Amino acid sequence: MGTSAATSGATTLVRTRRRRLNRRALAGYAFVSPALVFLLVFALFPFLFTLWVSIHDWNMLTPIGTMPFRGLDNYRYLLNEDPLFRQTFKNTVYFTVGNVGLSVILALGLALLLNSPIKLRPFWRAAFFAPYITAPVAIAIVWRNILDPDYGLANGVLAQFGVPAQPFLSGLNQAMPSMIAVAIWQGIGYYMIIFLAGLQAIPADLYDAAKLDGAGAWTLFRSITVPLLRPTMLFVIVINTLNSLQVFDLPYVLTQGGPVNQTNTLVFYMFNTAFKFLRMGRATGMAVMLFLVILVMTLIQLRLLREKE
Amino acid sequence: MSDSTHDTRINALEAGIASGRLSRRDVFRRGAALGLGAAAMGGLLGARPAGAADKVKLTLLTHWGTKEQKDPMDKIIAEYTKANPDVTIDHQTVTFDQLLNRITTGQLGGAAPDIYHFYNLWMPDFIGSNLLATPPADVTGNIKSAYSEGTVGGASYKGTTWGYPTEVDLYQLIYNKKLFQAAGVEKAPETWDELKAAAEKLTVKDSAGKVTQAGFMLLPSWDSGVVHPFTSLLWSNGGQYVASDYSKALFNEQPGVETLQLQLDMIKAKTAILSTNLANDADFESGRAAMTIMANWWGATLRASKIGMENVGVAQIPHTAGHQPVALQYEWLWGVSQTSKNQDAAWKFLTWLNSPRSEGTSSPMGDFLTSALNAIPGRTSDQKAHEAVLNDPFVKPFVEAAPTARSEPIIPGAQEIKTALEKQIEAAWYGQKPGPDALSAAAKQADSILKEKG
Repeated sequence: MGTSAATSGATTLVRTRRRRLNRRALAGYAFVSPALVFLLVFALFPFLFTLWVSIHDWNMLTPIGTMPFRGLDNYRYLLNEDPLFRQTFKNTVYFTVGNVGLSVILALGLALLLNSPIKLRPFWRAAFFAPYITAPVAIAIVWRNILDPDYGLANGVLAQFGVPAQPFLSGLNQAMPSMIAVAIWQGIGYYMIIFLAGLQAIPADLYDAAKLDGAGAWTLFRSITVPLLRPTMLFVIVINTLNSLQVFDLPYVLTQGGPVNQTNTLVFYMFNTAFKFLRMGRATGMAVMLFLVILVMTLIQLRLLREKE
Repeated sequence: MSDSTHDTRINALEAGIASGRLSRRDVFRRGAALGLGAAAMGGLLGARPAGAADKVKLTLLTHWGTKEQKDPMDKIIAEYTKANPDVTIDHQTVTFDQLLNRITTGQLGGAAPDIYHFYNLWMPDFIGSNLLATPPADVTGNIKSAYSEGTVGGASYKGTTWGYPTEVDLYQLIYNKKLFQAAGVEKAPETWDELKAAAEKLTVKDSAGKVTQAGFMLLPSWDSGVVHPFTSLLWSNGGQYVASDYSKALFNEQPGVETLQLQLDMIKAKTAILSTNLANDADFESGRAAMTIMANWWGATLRASKIGMENVGVAQIPHTAGHQPVALQYEWLWGVSQTSKNQDAAWKFLTWLNSPRSEGTSSPMGDFLTSALNAIPGRTSDQKAHEAVLNDPFVKPFVEAAPTARSEPIIPGAQEIKTALEKQIEAAWYGQKPGPDALSAAAKQADSILKEKG
């Protein structure tokens, strides 16, 4: 009797705990449900819808339910028959490599400089960060005027040194480097701030100890700064790569993809395919492939940099 | 409960009482039900002003969003709604860049306007998607009798005219008279040989051989800037853009190759420049280029510049021996949405908008086009009514070219084909590939698009 009462008491206790846990779980679900609903509506549904449209032919003028099914035709066309898709992909890689590579080096350099005790340090930090918080389209318009072949400031400066006017945005070989330069100028302040935060998180006593052992500036940088900045660098590279692969505003405002598609990027081509040629099936096909590329590249980057950690 | 249902029930109730088939309780019960129904309906309708139930609301979508354009159009709309108090019109505007997006999203979201004002190149897609309502026979008859053949052609697709043509734009040779005089070129070139010779005379180089003034200006990085002048020259060389049954592209045949070669020859001789100024027009305005092929709407830009309109001349498209000058023409038109519940009211408004107010006068649309847009109205009677405006030395040659002008090819996938051709012509201009190869590549793409969409 006593045993059974004890057992019964234990069972009741377990049940009560379970009920409490269930209630807590319910409360947890209730708290996350707005975020969950937001995620489902604004992330998962659009993604699934994009996938669905990419296997159909749709011009956005006909009801969704009447889209003809195309299977993998859109993907086959893009991969095998569309030379512009290949070119815009190459252009995007060119832009990404140039922008990410140079941005990381320059932003790190700037961060090191602005981490040292120089005059007007807060001013310089704010000045370099300002382009990042300026509207990208406004930046592109300003730079379009600066790089204007006839009236632009850039050629005005070159002319002072006897250098002939350069077709920065309309020259076949100059348009993409010019666009990369604008992108670097636009984003460098943000990455600089991240590097600055990373630098300031490195304990000063490590440098002091190394200095006592006779380490020079280069050794300090190579043996302490770079290894300890690796997580920051990983973040900067991943974020910058993601942003660069999706570049749209600069070609849209600066060059419209020209000259001869030299600055036509994947997302700009995707935009034209969808909204100018009304081929939403192909455009979403491009979006899916870009998503896969970004996913794979991000995973590779994470793995490579973590392995070194 | 609709008004008609309510009336039917009252009638049935009255008939029931009269025939003695309904008891007092029945009458009370049914009367109460009717009263509740009426009260509910009154509540629903109560928020609307008296008479609003009969009002027809039309939504109009245009790309005339600037104050200079929207205000005059709104004034015209107000004139119509004042005379037709049963109609309200909501004039929505977006920029030209956003117009097609707005049309597609409106269609998707179930917020399609009743009336569209759109670029005729979009017709094949719109019609293929059942976006446009077929105009009533009287509207079609009105259009066919009041507009030139070319203009009607530009508003027609697959044998049907789809709406009222409005703004008409044509391409002509535009030149700087001052530079012509300075170079000793007495008249505008009429033939290709004369064009090349004039371009050579008009080109000025500095001591280092750098071109400081070009005879001719080409306009890269803009589909219409590349393709419209090319097509005008192609037609003036006896060529064709596509086969009449839309089965294949023809711009890559011999006349097309010769047309592109004309441009390449001038680029090679450095008598033509690829306008490196992104505004595309500054080279001409500032006197760095003496000739170009452009549309009449450019007049507004030129007027606002420092060039001085007395220095700007307009001439026919240069042609080759045995062929006539042919200007490319494109236009805009009013159409009514297939999904509109007020199609009759929409066509009635459009007919009023595009018809002369009285015998020998302009239509409201003609007034708007000539005053707010500086454009050439498509309606022949509007052209006559605004003769004084259209007799302007810059505008007149465009109007005179209209009867022989050809509409930009309205073909399935027109925009995509146009962009493909633009990119390939540019590739040839920039020396990336020979002219025939560039045109063949564009034709291959065009054929594939025509095959798929045609």
